[in-house]
Amino acid sequence: MKPLLSNDYLVLLTRAFLGLLFIVVSLEKIVEPAAFAQSIANYKIVGPPLTVVLATVLPWLELLCGFALLFGIFLRGSSLLLSGMLVVFTAGVISALLRGLDIACGCFTQDPSVGKIGWMKVLQNGTLLVLSVFLYFSSSVRFSISQYLRTRPLE
Amino acid sequence: MTSFGTALREAGMLLVAAAALGFIYTAAMEKGLFGTQRPGIASSLQTSANAPVMVSPDSAKLFFDSGDALFVDSRHAYDYNLGHIKGAINLPLAEYAEKKGTVSQVPKDRLIIIYCDGADCNSSIELAARLFLDGYINVKIFFGGWGEWKAKNLPIEKSAK
Repeated sequence: MKPLLSNDYLVLLTRAFLGLLFIVVSLEKIVEPAAFAQSIANYKIVGPPLTVVLATVLPWLELLCGFALLFGIFLRGSSLLLSGMLVVFTAGVISALLRGLDIACGCFTQDPSVGKIGWMKVLQNGTLLVLSVFLYFSSSVRFSISQYLRTRPLE
Repeated sequence: MTSFGTALREAGMLLVAAAALGFIYTAAMEKGLFGTQRPGIASSLQTSANAPVMVSPDSAKLFFDSGDALFVDSRHAYDYNLGHIKGAINLPLAEYAEKKGTVSQVPKDRLIIIYCDGADCNSSIELAARLFLDGYINVKIFFGGWGEWKAKNLPIEKSAK
């Protein structure tokens, strides 16, 4: 496991993939918070006030974490947050599936015609979670802004 | 475990920044929490005698059995095609302007029952409001919608295609 965790290129690839993915999926939610709020409400887990707060903050959190991963700033913080979000999202999907809810995921797009939640979604999120946890434990900081700032010769 | 402490501090900063950006953006763009889409139509309905009312699943079933009611599905065409109340027509709220021709042959006093997914969708209410404002005076909302209808094993059908 150690060689994998410290493999600069593997870590960079994972950062770029997760980072770009979260940046892309956050954009539609940012532009249409009302549609995203509806998606959250469909899960019938949180009440209206919290739904509004989540619809307002979550997309921006996805965007910031995406940029953080991509550029290598706050790597541990952003991978921790992403892992946390993915655990919560996946728990939401599983709970909705167990309650027999017939709803669209609202994960990657707010367009209901893309499809309903299913166990495939759980598997997909699980994969992303593994990648995100991998980044959290990875020791490679090469190709990151924080590393650049740390090693920059002072004058 | 200082690295976990660092991670938590970074996560906290990201969270605060996201919250600030989210609230500032939605406030500036008048979206979401600060949007103005909600109250308009719905409140204008409360004042009219013929305004759309909600019906229970049992009355929806009675109207269905009587054969007098036209059921209108306000969900997306995709969901409608997967399954809908038997005999219902599809008029997605999102495409109301383009597709309202679908009901142009329907007499204005015909009993119309609108439904969508279930308790968490508002498109049936919005669609009822639009139809009412367009002159249909006998519009009702079956708020339990597709979810309750299916759960009670009442007659359904799928689209041919």
